[in-house]
Amino acid sequence: MLELTISRAAPLVLAAMGGYTSERSGVINIALEGKMLSAACAAAVLTPRFGPWGGLAGGILVAVVLSILHWLATQHYRIDHVVSGMAINALAIGGTNFANAKFADAGRSAQAAHLPLIMFYAIALIAPIGVWAHAKYTRGGLRMVAVGSDPDKSRLVGLQPVFIRLKGQVATGVFTGLAGVLLFTETGVFSDNMTAGQGYIALAALILSGWRPMWALVAGLTFGFFSALQLKLQGTDFFGSSIPSEAWSALPHIVTIIALAGFAGRNRTPSGLGKP
Amino acid sequence: MNWRLAALCIGGVALLAVLVIVAGVSPLEAAKSLFSGTLGTPSNIAGTLRETTPLLIAGIAVFVALRAGLFNIGVEGQFLVGAMASAVIGLRFPGPGGVVLAILGGMGAGALWALPAGLIKAYRNGHEVITTIMLNTVADRFTSAMVSGPIKAPGGNTSTLPLTPSTSIPSITIAGVEISTALFFGVLATLGLAWWLRHMVSGYELEATGANRTAAKYAGIETRRVTVQAMVISGAIAGLAGSVQVLAFEHRFYAGFSPGYGFDALGVALLAASQAVALVPAALLFGVLAKGATVLQIDGIPKGITTVVLGVLILVAAAIRYRRAKAIA
Repeated sequence: MLELTISRAAPLVLAAMGGYTSERSGVINIALEGKMLSAACAAAVLTPRFGPWGGLAGGILVAVVLSILHWLATQHYRIDHVVSGMAINALAIGGTNFANAKFADAGRSAQAAHLPLIMFYAIALIAPIGVWAHAKYTRGGLRMVAVGSDPDKSRLVGLQPVFIRLKGQVATGVFTGLAGVLLFTETGVFSDNMTAGQGYIALAALILSGWRPMWALVAGLTFGFFSALQLKLQGTDFFGSSIPSEAWSALPHIVTIIALAGFAGRNRTPSGLGKP
Repeated sequence: MNWRLAALCIGGVALLAVLVIVAGVSPLEAAKSLFSGTLGTPSNIAGTLRETTPLLIAGIAVFVALRAGLFNIGVEGQFLVGAMASAVIGLRFPGPGGVVLAILGGMGAGALWALPAGLIKAYRNGHEVITTIMLNTVADRFTSAMVSGPIKAPGGNTSTLPLTPSTSIPSITIAGVEISTALFFGVLATLGLAWWLRHMVSGYELEATGANRTAAKYAGIETRRVTVQAMVISGAIAGLAGSVQVLAFEHRFYAGFSPGYGFDALGVALLAASQAVALVPAALLFGVLAKGATVLQIDGIPKGITTVVLGVLILVAAAIRYRRAKAIA
């Protein structure tokens, strides 16, 4: 059960860390989903050809490229962050459908050598500590938080939000890339829309955590636990009637809605979120 | 046209051309078969218009919310619950009277599904994008649980029973092209919406809230009420789109009912930008893309390419809109 929980939580935590570096620097990112999906697809296409490390590098690279596109759209073209995120998700859904149909080979990608899953799990468990320490104790991390909290004052003291956000976006690409490659590594094949909303759940975990890395880890593990519980309890009877599996998979989403409705305490949103 | 916008447009077109070439088809060939497959013959035109109908109505739903400054990503979920409610009501009350009830029920279900997002946005400042995305997943799970359980027709398929032929929105044939009357209602609704936003107090309040929430508040507009109202109207229209899809085209509800109309509707509304009337050509364009996806698939181009087109269109339209806004300011 612990193993299952961690395996369900790891991609959420990794993607939530990606969301953290983006949103803490002031860029709303609903494109976590699309980046994970693209990374998974790239890994599926590249792993049989260039080995597992090639797949990992390719997955991260694709996610970083999409992140830079998001950075360009929001910072240079000043497109609304949500609109840009939706567009990137669309590009990812369409692009992966295309690439999967044209280049992927499920048989070969399933048989290819894969990286050990434990590596991804370890990164997922350690990353929040690193991200937290980085934001709290390093110059770069403090600047990131400053830019996300008040871009105008940051400019006054000589920071350049646009470039600090670029760094944040690259980190987002790396984390979401890891999350996507992990999803591929677990199954060995790519299927259309295989992320199935996990990028959004990661975002929800980030929001519920109040944009704090360690709490995001807790939120991710909680979602992972419920997801694992759902798999375990599928078809089990409660008080004489079986609860449909759909009810379990809807649970984290309902929890998020309730939490947003105001049972989760004070508003911790980075105050510069979405501002130029 | 400045260089950055030009670069974005050229980049978008180049990306698509490269994808088509990679798929092993010449871009000219692909464009030709896209055109003949969607607008070439009366039956192909009918197919395109059939796709256009739900896209137009769902596009109106996204548009209304967008004018109030809200991103209703939840159209997909509202569409699903609206469609399911209509199917259930239509089965219970067959006949033309049942159609009216089913439409009202579908709109009600959609509105109800959008209500939490509106309330949370207005009173808790919880971002509507997050809540509506969550509500979409819940709607998807809810409807698929219902259709594989309580409202499932006997037999293997996860689907409801079909509605009786009298329980449907009729279609008419013009010059050999079969068009559902729902499309005309959609066009009328678009015109009505444009008029409402322009000439009525409540419409003006909605636009003012969307343009500048703080200013609207100081002008004495109850922005919270307007926010909830806009979200509920948007949800009702999205539910209507689901009703129409059941009553005019599918005649039953089944698992995996929406092929992503809510998502495409977002593209329709963003492309229409601030003009309600522009929804009609925008929906037609997406109708062509939706119908074209199946045509291109026969040529060996994966259907994902149309979603890539959607992404590119959204980016370019948003970039153009920003540039225009800046020019006025």
